[in-house]
Amino acid sequence: MSHVDVANPESAWYGGKSPFNVSYGKLMMWYFLLSDVFTFSALLISYGAIRMSAPEWAAPDVVFSAMPVLGEGYPLIFVTIMTFILIMSSVFVVRAVQEGHRMNKKGVMTWLAWGIVGGVAFLGCQAWEWTHLIGGLSHGHGMTISEINFGPGTEHYPIQFAFLFFVITGFHGFHVFSGVLINIWALIMTANGTFERRGHYEMIEKIGLYWHFVDLVWVFVFLAFYLL
Amino acid sequence: MGHDLTDEQYKSQVSAVWRATIIMAVLTVLEVAAALMWPEDMSRAVLNIMFVLMSIAKGYFIVAEFMHVKYEKRALTLTILGPLFFLIWFIIAFMWEGSEWLALRELWGV
Repeated sequence: MSHVDVANPESAWYGGKSPFNVSYGKLMMWYFLLSDVFTFSALLISYGAIRMSAPEWAAPDVVFSAMPVLGEGYPLIFVTIMTFILIMSSVFVVRAVQEGHRMNKKGVMTWLAWGIVGGVAFLGCQAWEWTHLIGGLSHGHGMTISEINFGPGTEHYPIQFAFLFFVITGFHGFHVFSGVLINIWALIMTANGTFERRGHYEMIEKIGLYWHFVDLVWVFVFLAFYLL
Repeated sequence: MGHDLTDEQYKSQVSAVWRATIIMAVLTVLEVAAALMWPEDMSRAVLNIMFVLMSIAKGYFIVAEFMHVKYEKRALTLTILGPLFFLIWFIIAFMWEGSEWLALRELWGV
Protein backbone atom coordinates (compact mmCIF):
# COMPACT_ATOMS: atom_id res chain seq x y z
CA MET A 1 0.00 0.00 0.00
CA SER A 2 1.67 3.19 -1.12
CA HIS A 3 1.71 6.45 0.78
CA VAL A 4 -0.36 8.09 -1.95
CA ASP A 5 -3.17 5.55 -1.53
CA VAL A 6 -3.38 6.08 2.22
CA ALA A 7 -3.37 9.88 1.88
CA ASN A 8 -6.32 9.72 -0.50
CA PRO A 9 -9.50 10.31 1.54
CA GLU A 10 -11.41 8.10 -0.90
CA SER A 11 -9.16 5.12 -0.08
CA ALA A 12 -10.53 2.31 2.06
CA TRP A 13 -7.32 2.61 4.10
CA TYR A 14 -7.69 6.32 4.92
CA GLY A 15 -9.39 5.53 8.19
CA GLY A 16 -12.89 5.66 9.61
CA LYS A 17 -14.12 2.60 7.74
CA SER A 18 -13.32 -1.11 7.68
CA PRO A 19 -11.06 -1.88 4.67
CA PHE A 20 -11.96 -5.57 4.74
CA ASN A 21 -15.60 -4.92 5.63
CA VAL A 22 -15.58 -7.73 8.20
CA SER A 23 -15.60 -7.67 11.98
CA TYR A 24 -12.50 -8.30 14.11
CA GLY A 25 -13.80 -11.73 15.14
CA LYS A 26 -14.41 -12.91 11.60
CA LEU A 27 -10.98 -11.72 10.46
CA MET A 28 -9.33 -13.56 13.35
CA MET A 29 -11.26 -16.71 12.45
CA TRP A 30 -9.86 -16.39 8.93
CA TYR A 31 -6.32 -16.01 10.26
CA PHE A 32 -6.78 -19.05 12.48
CA LEU A 33 -8.07 -21.08 9.51
CA LEU A 34 -5.09 -19.96 7.43
CA SER A 35 -2.75 -21.33 10.10
CA ASP A 36 -4.77 -24.55 10.16
CA VAL A 37 -4.43 -24.77 6.35
CA PHE A 38 -0.67 -24.90 6.79
CA THR A 39 -0.92 -27.54 9.53
CA PHE A 40 -3.01 -29.83 7.34
CA SER A 41 -0.88 -29.03 4.29
CA ALA A 42 2.23 -30.07 6.19
CA LEU A 43 0.57 -33.37 7.11
CA LEU A 44 -0.70 -34.08 3.59
CA ILE A 45 2.58 -33.05 1.95
CA SER A 46 4.49 -35.36 4.33
CA TYR A 47 2.10 -38.05 3.16
CA GLY A 48 3.00 -37.19 -0.46
CA ALA A 49 6.76 -37.21 0.17
CA ILE A 50 6.67 -40.53 2.05
CA ARG A 51 4.43 -42.04 -0.59
CA MET A 52 6.80 -40.93 -3.38
CA SER A 53 9.69 -42.55 -1.51
CA ALA A 54 7.91 -45.91 -1.13
CA PRO A 55 8.45 -48.62 -3.77
CA GLU A 56 4.88 -49.85 -3.24
CA TRP A 57 1.80 -48.19 -1.77
CA ALA A 58 -1.53 -49.48 -0.47
CA ALA A 59 -4.39 -49.68 -3.02
CA PRO A 60 -7.44 -47.75 -1.72
CA ASP A 61 -9.96 -50.15 -3.27
CA VAL A 62 -8.34 -53.04 -1.38
CA VAL A 63 -8.01 -51.24 1.96
CA PHE A 64 -11.36 -49.43 1.97
CA SER A 65 -13.79 -52.02 0.64
CA ALA A 66 -16.07 -52.72 3.58
CA MET A 67 -19.62 -51.61 4.30
CA PRO A 68 -21.47 -51.92 7.60
CA VAL A 69 -23.81 -54.98 7.62
CA LEU A 70 -23.00 -55.87 3.97
CA GLY A 71 -19.35 -56.78 4.60
CA GLU A 72 -16.45 -56.70 2.13
CA GLY A 73 -16.59 -56.11 -1.64
CA TYR A 74 -17.82 -52.51 -1.82
CA PRO A 75 -14.71 -50.47 -2.64
CA LEU A 76 -14.90 -46.75 -1.76
CA ILE A 77 -18.70 -46.78 -1.36
CA PHE A 78 -18.73 -46.21 2.39
CA VAL A 79 -16.27 -43.32 2.23
CA THR A 80 -18.33 -41.73 -0.56
CA ILE A 81 -21.34 -41.79 1.76
CA MET A 82 -19.17 -40.18 4.47
CA THR A 83 -18.19 -37.45 2.00
CA PHE A 84 -21.84 -36.75 1.17
CA ILE A 85 -22.72 -36.59 4.85
CA LEU A 86 -20.03 -33.99 5.52
CA ILE A 87 -20.91 -31.89 2.45
CA MET A 88 -24.59 -31.92 3.43
CA SER A 89 -23.74 -30.97 6.99
CA SER A 90 -21.76 -28.02 5.64
CA VAL A 91 -24.72 -26.97 3.46
CA PHE A 92 -27.08 -27.12 6.45
CA VAL A 93 -24.81 -24.73 8.35
CA VAL A 94 -24.75 -22.35 5.35
CA ARG A 95 -28.53 -22.37 5.55
CA ALA A 96 -28.33 -21.58 9.29
CA VAL A 97 -26.08 -18.59 8.50
CA GLN A 98 -28.54 -17.35 5.85
CA GLU A 99 -31.47 -17.64 8.26
CA GLY A 100 -29.36 -15.75 10.81
CA HIS A 101 -29.09 -12.83 8.39
CA ARG A 102 -32.89 -12.71 8.40
CA MET A 103 -33.02 -12.91 12.22
CA ASN A 104 -35.05 -16.10 11.89
CA LYS A 105 -34.26 -17.81 15.20
CA LYS A 106 -36.31 -20.92 14.45
CA GLY A 107 -34.66 -21.33 11.04
CA VAL A 108 -31.18 -21.02 12.53
CA MET A 109 -32.00 -23.67 15.14
CA THR A 110 -33.48 -26.12 12.63
CA TRP A 111 -30.57 -25.94 10.19
CA LEU A 112 -27.91 -25.87 12.90
CA ALA A 113 -29.47 -28.98 14.43
CA TRP A 114 -29.28 -30.74 11.06
CA GLY A 115 -25.65 -29.65 10.78
CA ILE A 116 -24.93 -31.25 14.15
CA VAL A 117 -26.73 -34.45 13.08
CA GLY A 118 -24.47 -34.56 9.99
CA GLY A 119 -21.32 -34.03 12.05
CA VAL A 120 -22.27 -36.76 14.51
CA ALA A 121 -23.16 -39.12 11.63
CA PHE A 122 -19.76 -38.49 10.04
CA LEU A 123 -17.98 -39.20 13.34
CA GLY A 124 -20.02 -42.39 13.74
CA CYS A 125 -18.97 -43.53 10.25
CA GLN A 126 -15.34 -42.78 11.01
CA ALA A 127 -15.54 -44.66 14.29
CA TRP A 128 -16.96 -47.65 12.43
CA GLU A 129 -14.26 -47.42 9.75
CA TRP A 130 -11.43 -47.29 12.28
CA THR A 131 -12.93 -50.10 14.36
CA HIS A 132 -13.32 -52.24 11.28
CA LEU A 133 -9.73 -51.61 10.13
CA ILE A 134 -8.19 -52.21 13.56
CA GLY A 135 -10.42 -55.20 14.39
CA GLY A 136 -9.93 -56.67 10.91
CA LEU A 137 -6.26 -57.34 11.60
CA SER A 138 -7.13 -60.40 13.71
CA HIS A 139 -8.54 -62.16 10.63
CA GLY A 140 -5.91 -60.87 8.21
CA HIS A 141 -7.70 -57.87 6.71
CA GLY A 142 -6.91 -54.71 8.58
CA MET A 143 -4.30 -52.37 9.99
CA THR A 144 -3.08 -50.59 13.12
CA ILE A 145 -0.21 -48.11 13.47
CA SER A 146 2.20 -51.02 13.94
CA GLU A 147 0.90 -53.69 11.56
CA ILE A 148 -0.74 -53.81 8.14
CA ASN A 149 -2.14 -56.91 6.43
CA PHE A 150 -4.80 -57.12 3.74
CA GLY A 151 -4.26 -60.71 2.65
CA PRO A 152 -2.25 -62.17 -0.27
CA GLY A 153 -0.60 -59.60 -2.56
CA THR A 154 -0.40 -56.95 0.14
CA GLU A 155 2.82 -58.18 1.82
CA HIS A 156 4.71 -55.06 0.76
CA TYR A 157 2.15 -52.50 1.87
CA PRO A 158 4.23 -50.02 3.88
CA ILE A 159 3.35 -49.44 7.53
CA GLN A 160 3.73 -45.69 6.88
CA PHE A 161 0.40 -45.84 5.02
CA ALA A 162 -1.39 -47.03 8.14
CA PHE A 163 0.44 -44.56 10.34
CA LEU A 164 -0.34 -41.57 8.11
CA PHE A 165 -3.95 -42.71 7.70
CA PHE A 166 -4.64 -42.81 11.42
CA VAL A 167 -2.76 -39.58 12.16
CA ILE A 168 -4.34 -37.50 9.39
CA THR A 169 -7.91 -38.82 9.49
CA GLY A 170 -7.62 -38.74 13.28
CA PHE A 171 -6.55 -35.10 13.29
CA HIS A 172 -9.37 -34.28 10.88
CA GLY A 173 -11.83 -36.27 12.99
CA PHE A 174 -10.72 -34.29 16.04
CA HIS A 175 -11.57 -31.10 14.14
CA VAL A 176 -15.01 -32.50 13.31
CA PHE A 177 -15.49 -33.49 16.95
CA SER A 178 -14.61 -30.02 18.26
CA GLY A 179 -16.79 -28.49 15.52
CA VAL A 180 -19.76 -30.56 16.71
CA LEU A 181 -19.20 -29.38 20.30
CA ILE A 182 -18.98 -25.73 19.17
CA ASN A 183 -22.14 -26.15 17.06
CA ILE A 184 -23.99 -27.62 20.05
CA TRP A 185 -22.89 -24.65 22.14
CA ALA A 186 -24.13 -22.29 19.38
CA LEU A 187 -27.47 -24.13 19.24
CA ILE A 188 -27.93 -23.67 23.00
CA MET A 189 -27.00 -19.96 22.75
CA THR A 190 -29.47 -19.53 19.87
CA ALA A 191 -32.21 -21.36 21.79
CA ASN A 192 -31.88 -19.15 24.85
CA GLY A 193 -32.01 -16.04 22.67
CA THR A 194 -28.46 -14.72 23.23
CA PHE A 195 -27.89 -13.84 19.57
CA GLU A 196 -31.38 -12.46 19.16
CA ARG A 197 -30.79 -10.04 22.05
CA ARG A 198 -27.39 -9.17 20.59
CA GLY A 199 -29.17 -8.14 17.39
CA HIS A 200 -27.14 -10.32 15.03
CA TYR A 201 -26.13 -13.93 14.39
CA GLU A 202 -22.51 -13.27 13.47
CA MET A 203 -21.35 -16.00 15.86
CA ILE A 204 -23.04 -18.56 13.58
CA GLU A 205 -21.05 -17.14 10.65
CA LYS A 206 -17.72 -17.50 12.48
CA ILE A 207 -18.54 -21.02 13.61
CA GLY A 208 -19.78 -21.77 10.10
CA LEU A 209 -16.42 -20.73 8.63
CA TYR A 210 -14.71 -23.29 10.86
CA TRP A 211 -17.25 -25.96 9.94
CA HIS A 212 -16.82 -25.40 6.18
CA PHE A 213 -13.07 -25.49 6.63
CA VAL A 214 -13.40 -28.99 8.10
CA ASP A 215 -15.35 -29.97 4.97
CA LEU A 216 -12.65 -28.37 2.78
CA VAL A 217 -9.91 -30.39 4.48
CA TRP A 218 -11.92 -33.56 3.95
CA VAL A 219 -11.96 -32.93 0.18
CA PHE A 220 -8.17 -33.16 0.18
CA VAL A 221 -7.92 -36.00 2.70
CA PHE A 222 -10.36 -37.88 0.45
CA LEU A 223 -8.15 -37.06 -2.56
CA ALA A 224 -4.93 -38.21 -0.88
CA PHE A 225 -6.09 -41.42 0.78
CA TYR A 226 -8.99 -42.68 -1.31
CA LEU A 227 -8.48 -41.44 -4.87
CA LEU A 228 -4.83 -40.96 -5.82
CA MET B 1 -26.62 -7.04 10.79
CA GLY B 2 -30.24 -8.12 11.17
CA HIS B 3 -32.49 -8.17 8.13
CA ASP B 4 -29.56 -7.12 5.95
CA LEU B 5 -30.73 -9.27 3.04
CA THR B 6 -33.60 -8.39 0.75
CA ASP B 7 -35.96 -11.22 -0.19
CA GLU B 8 -34.47 -11.22 -3.64
CA GLN B 9 -30.85 -11.52 -2.39
CA TYR B 10 -31.89 -14.19 0.08
CA LYS B 11 -33.55 -16.30 -2.61
CA SER B 12 -30.62 -16.00 -5.00
CA GLN B 13 -28.10 -16.90 -2.27
CA VAL B 14 -30.12 -19.92 -1.19
CA SER B 15 -30.34 -21.21 -4.75
CA ALA B 16 -26.61 -20.49 -5.32
CA VAL B 17 -25.78 -22.71 -2.35
CA TRP B 18 -27.98 -25.58 -3.52
CA ARG B 19 -26.50 -25.29 -7.02
CA ALA B 20 -22.98 -25.55 -5.56
CA THR B 21 -24.11 -28.58 -3.52
CA ILE B 22 -25.39 -30.38 -6.60
CA ILE B 23 -22.19 -29.66 -8.54
CA MET B 24 -20.06 -30.95 -5.66
CA ALA B 25 -22.17 -34.09 -5.35
CA VAL B 26 -21.84 -34.77 -9.09
CA LEU B 27 -18.07 -34.21 -8.93
CA THR B 28 -17.76 -36.66 -6.02
CA VAL B 29 -19.77 -39.31 -7.88
CA LEU B 30 -17.61 -38.78 -10.99
CA GLU B 31 -14.42 -39.11 -8.92
CA VAL B 32 -15.48 -42.38 -7.34
CA ALA B 33 -16.82 -43.76 -10.62
CA ALA B 34 -13.52 -42.89 -12.35
CA ALA B 35 -11.52 -44.46 -9.50
CA LEU B 36 -13.46 -47.72 -9.83
CA MET B 37 -13.89 -47.95 -13.61
CA TRP B 38 -10.68 -46.49 -15.03
CA PRO B 39 -9.26 -49.11 -17.45
CA GLU B 40 -5.94 -50.71 -16.40
CA ASP B 41 -4.26 -49.94 -19.73
CA MET B 42 -5.04 -46.21 -19.64
CA SER B 43 -2.62 -43.68 -18.18
CA ARG B 44 -2.85 -43.41 -14.40
CA ALA B 45 -1.29 -39.92 -14.61
CA VAL B 46 -4.28 -38.59 -16.59
CA LEU B 47 -6.64 -39.99 -13.97
CA ASN B 48 -4.63 -38.44 -11.14
CA ILE B 49 -4.61 -35.02 -12.82
CA MET B 50 -8.41 -35.31 -13.19
CA PHE B 51 -8.74 -36.17 -9.50
CA VAL B 52 -6.65 -33.16 -8.46
CA LEU B 53 -8.59 -30.78 -10.74
CA MET B 54 -11.97 -32.07 -9.55
CA SER B 55 -10.89 -31.74 -5.91
CA ILE B 56 -9.71 -28.17 -6.49
CA ALA B 57 -13.09 -27.44 -8.12
CA LYS B 58 -14.87 -28.80 -5.03
CA GLY B 59 -12.57 -26.73 -2.83
CA TYR B 60 -13.44 -23.66 -4.88
CA PHE B 61 -17.16 -24.10 -4.25
CA ILE B 62 -16.62 -24.55 -0.51
CA VAL B 63 -14.38 -21.48 -0.19
CA ALA B 64 -16.18 -19.20 -2.67
CA GLU B 65 -19.80 -20.10 -1.95
CA PHE B 66 -20.05 -21.73 1.50
CA MET B 67 -17.35 -19.60 3.13
CA HIS B 68 -18.69 -16.58 1.24
CA VAL B 69 -15.30 -15.44 -0.08
CA LYS B 70 -16.84 -14.70 -3.48
CA TYR B 71 -18.81 -11.88 -1.87
CA GLU B 72 -16.02 -10.44 0.31
CA LYS B 73 -13.83 -7.42 -0.41
CA ARG B 74 -10.96 -8.11 -2.79
CA ALA B 75 -8.38 -7.03 -0.18
CA LEU B 76 -9.68 -9.69 2.25
CA THR B 77 -9.70 -12.39 -0.43
CA LEU B 78 -6.09 -11.61 -1.32
CA THR B 79 -5.07 -11.60 2.34
CA ILE B 80 -6.55 -15.05 2.83
CA LEU B 81 -5.54 -16.66 -0.44
CA GLY B 82 -2.17 -14.94 -1.04
CA PRO B 83 -0.18 -16.94 1.54
CA LEU B 84 -1.39 -20.16 -0.12
CA PHE B 85 1.04 -19.54 -2.96
CA PHE B 86 3.77 -20.77 -0.58
CA LEU B 87 2.12 -24.18 -0.87
CA ILE B 88 3.05 -24.46 -4.54
CA TRP B 89 6.77 -24.66 -3.82
CA PHE B 90 6.11 -26.65 -0.63
CA ILE B 91 4.41 -29.34 -2.73
CA ILE B 92 6.95 -29.34 -5.58
CA ALA B 93 9.94 -29.47 -3.20
CA PHE B 94 8.62 -32.38 -1.17
CA MET B 95 7.39 -34.48 -4.08
CA TRP B 96 10.81 -33.98 -5.64
CA GLU B 97 12.52 -34.92 -2.37
CA GLY B 98 10.31 -38.00 -2.01
CA SER B 99 11.24 -39.33 -5.43
CA GLU B 100 14.93 -38.69 -4.64
CA TRP B 101 14.58 -40.84 -1.51
CA LEU B 102 13.14 -43.58 -3.68
CA ALA B 103 16.05 -43.26 -6.15
CA LEU B 104 18.54 -43.51 -3.27
CA ARG B 105 16.73 -46.55 -1.84
CA GLU B 106 16.95 -48.30 -5.21
CA LEU B 107 20.60 -47.28 -5.57
CA TRP B 108 21.51 -48.76 -2.19
CA GLY B 109 19.02 -51.61 -2.37
CA VAL B 110 17.22 -50.86 0.89
